[in-house]
Amino acid sequence: MKRSRMAIAKIRGQIRVIASIFVCSLLLAAGCKTSEDAASAATQMSTTAKSLSDYYTALNTILANTDQLYMLNEQILAKPYTAENRQLMKDNEAELAKRAALAAEFSTFAGEFAKLAGSTASADVAASANKLETEVDTLASVKASTGEQNALKTALQIFVTAIQEHKEREAARAMDDIAKGLTALFIKEGEVWNSVETNYTRTAAVLAGYLVDHDATDQSALLKVALDPFGLMPSVVAPELRAALAPLAKQQIATRTAALDASYVTATDNMTKSLQEMSKRIDAVADDRPMAFRMPPATVANVEKWTTQVASY
Amino acid sequence: MPDVLSTVQATFNSLDAQYTLLLAASTNPQQRTALENQYAVAQQAYQMCIGKTLSDDDPQVAALSMQLKATNLQVAQSVTEMGDISKVIDTITQAVTLAAKLAAKIAV
Repeated sequence: MKRSRMAIAKIRGQIRVIASIFVCSLLLAAGCKTSEDAASAATQMSTTAKSLSDYYTALNTILANTDQLYMLNEQILAKPYTAENRQLMKDNEAELAKRAALAAEFSTFAGEFAKLAGSTASADVAASANKLETEVDTLASVKASTGEQNALKTALQIFVTAIQEHKEREAARAMDDIAKGLTALFIKEGEVWNSVETNYTRTAAVLAGYLVDHDATDQSALLKVALDPFGLMPSVVAPELRAALAPLAKQQIATRTAALDASYVTATDNMTKSLQEMSKRIDAVADDRPMAFRMPPATVANVEKWTTQVASY
Repeated sequence: MPDVLSTVQATFNSLDAQYTLLLAASTNPQQRTALENQYAVAQQAYQMCIGKTLSDDDPQVAALSMQLKATNLQVAQSVTEMGDISKVIDTITQAVTLAAKLAAKIAV
């Protein structure tokens, strides 16, 4: 009887040990899961922030093109473009460049955070920490000009410090603040960037229409639809034919203007959705909730399509 | 006022689209100079608006914006009718002056 009691106590003890090991394993697994979620969220945020930086850079290309357009207008149509107005244009370009730089910095930080959160190799951690030191110096040179940008810059600095001190949870919370800040700034300034794009397409369309009217365009591309099936190439179009093609050329200007504007609106909508979605995902990680997604929001790809299109202008 | 920028942009884009026509219709150097000046001011007002984060809680900005919208319509009408070029330039001057006031108002 005594022996059987001892056996039962031994089994209970073994069960306790097994249970303890199981609970510990679960806790460890949960810890790893958190780390995986944080690393994944950071990687996705890095991609999304890179996309935002590319978006701002594309808008800057549009501003630079508008600057050139104004210079062409001055030469061809005698539309004044004063030195003062050119300076205002340059100031606006500088503002956009600041936003592109902030988003690019965040993308880099998030990428480094992902490496730290996802790696146990001391060499990786040391390399990422060194890279962050360099990035902090770069950040200091970006002069923020609005309250929102200053707040973002501060959040970025907190983020970097948290990463350097290996405080993963604090870093995730800081990343959450930055993602929210970037989203709010992007939405707040949406009207301004929309105006930059539509002003460019409208101004370019006016000059393009003038050039068509003044026989300064090659309209042979309009004939491709008739000649390509037969392997024929258009020759230099005769003046009478150019005049006949002018209305089609103008129609193409109007159609493309609308298409460019629509493409921009879609890209902006997708950028907003990407930022909002990432904000939600990082929020979950920062609050210790599971984050199921392992890929950046699908909408990011559509933004890239637009930025590539602008780069080809 | 969420549409301040778009209203100032409309003033500039409208003048930009009609500029060649208006310049051709100008009958003396004074009219041409006035047109050139208004174009430069309209462009400046627009550039200034772009450079600033717009404030939507200033009642004066809202009132000016409404006035500019109405004047933009007058400009479009007078350009379409293209009667007395001096009156057309006067209407443009009114619109551009309002656009410049708005730009100054929202400039921080």
